[in-house]
Amino acid sequence: MAEENIFLFVPNLIGYARIVLAFLSFFLMPCCPLPAAFCYLLSSLLDAFDGHAARALNQSTKFGAMLDMLTDRCATMCLLVNLALLYPSYTFLFQLSMCLDISSHWLHLHSSMMKGSSSHKNIDLSGNPALRLYYTSKPVLFVMCMGNEMFFCLLYLLYHTPEPAVWMLVLEGVCGIIFVLKSGISVLHLITASQNMAALDTAERQAVKDQ
Amino acid sequence: MAEENIFLFVPNLIGYARIVLAFISFFLMPCCPLPAAFCYLLSSLLDAFDGHAARALNQSTKFGAMLDMLTDRCATMCLLVNLALLYPSYTFLFQLSMCLDISSHWLHLHSSMMKGSSSHKNIDLSGNPALRLYYTSKPVLFVMCMGNEMFFCLLYLLYHTPEPAVWMLVLEGVCGIIFVLKSGISVLHLITASQNMAALDTAERQAVKDQ
Repeated sequence: MAEENIFLFVPNLIGYARIVLAFLSFFLMPCCPLPAAFCYLLSSLLDAFDGHAARALNQSTKFGAMLDMLTDRCATMCLLVNLALLYPSYTFLFQLSMCLDISSHWLHLHSSMMKGSSSHKNIDLSGNPALRLYYTSKPVLFVMCMGNEMFFCLLYLLYHTPEPAVWMLVLEGVCGIIFVLKSGISVLHLITASQNMAALDTAERQAVKDQ
Repeated sequence: MAEENIFLFVPNLIGYARIVLAFISFFLMPCCPLPAAFCYLLSSLLDAFDGHAARALNQSTKFGAMLDMLTDRCATMCLLVNLALLYPSYTFLFQLSMCLDISSHWLHLHSSMMKGSSSHKNIDLSGNPALRLYYTSKPVLFVMCMGNEMFFCLLYLLYHTPEPAVWMLVLEGVCGIIFVLKSGISVLHLITASQNMAALDTAERQAVKDQ
């Protein structure tokens, strides 16, 4: 019986390439803006392909999904570190953004998994109308995530552009608005996930008391 | 029936205090080393109390456990941002450390949760002897985590100490060794968790094929 190796699945190979390109970009960011930006954007671009490859080749795995998400989280985190070096007076804001990104995703994922395993409590995670739009509309999700990433990327590129074109500044303004909106959604995620976890805790404690 | 509010449980209140103190410390780090260090150390100190309070008052919750872990991860992450500002030539190493810390903890937690819900596959997460020692010996775990944190804290304090005492440098050396060891353990965690997730994926795919 031929045993398939999850680690060699095509989407996961793409995932490893994303990681290598991302690390390369962060290694280059302090010294070489254009190669660094090229590697980072290529890494982000590949993010669109691993999902397609997984579905096309029937190679969707939970490992691949985690690999993908961890790469996204760590890449954004490292980019914000480099931005803090370029704009040190905004360090605290970058730190807040990193903490919000990591914790909202982590708590949301964690509460979803726990909810899935709970048979006696059913919480509607998308009860919030704003979150529901965010979840159900793929174009909305794409624009939000893309705009958010672009905000940070443009901050890096603008630093190294002596006389930025007007379109670049306008684009940055639009992305800035998306960044604020997405941050608001992350806060909502954090609150909703916290409420879900607390509800699961309450149900569990009640079940223990009823015994 | 009086309904208890998980969010107002004493360990969680301690958790919120930890977060507030941590954020104050990061806000102060660029300008005021001693107040910043005081807030950060107080935040870390409180970490010892929320666990005890939870057990003493029967207020252990999954929400509280996640709150605790997210605070640890984000606090370490933000401290490394400030260290990158002080030691910019080591930025890439700090970024690698942040990525390793976040992803090893996240993947380990995620694979443990998935394993818990899986009835058809039982993987011994502590099969690795080094990891087993790390898990089962509380003193070892404490020294490793404490020494790792101290390594970063001392890097910050040493930057602001014109003529560091010998004991401080020796302590930093010892903590440096612990930092390297703990990083190695995190890599082991990452590999083990990946293997566990891949095994769960393989089992799931096999189950689908057998249908």
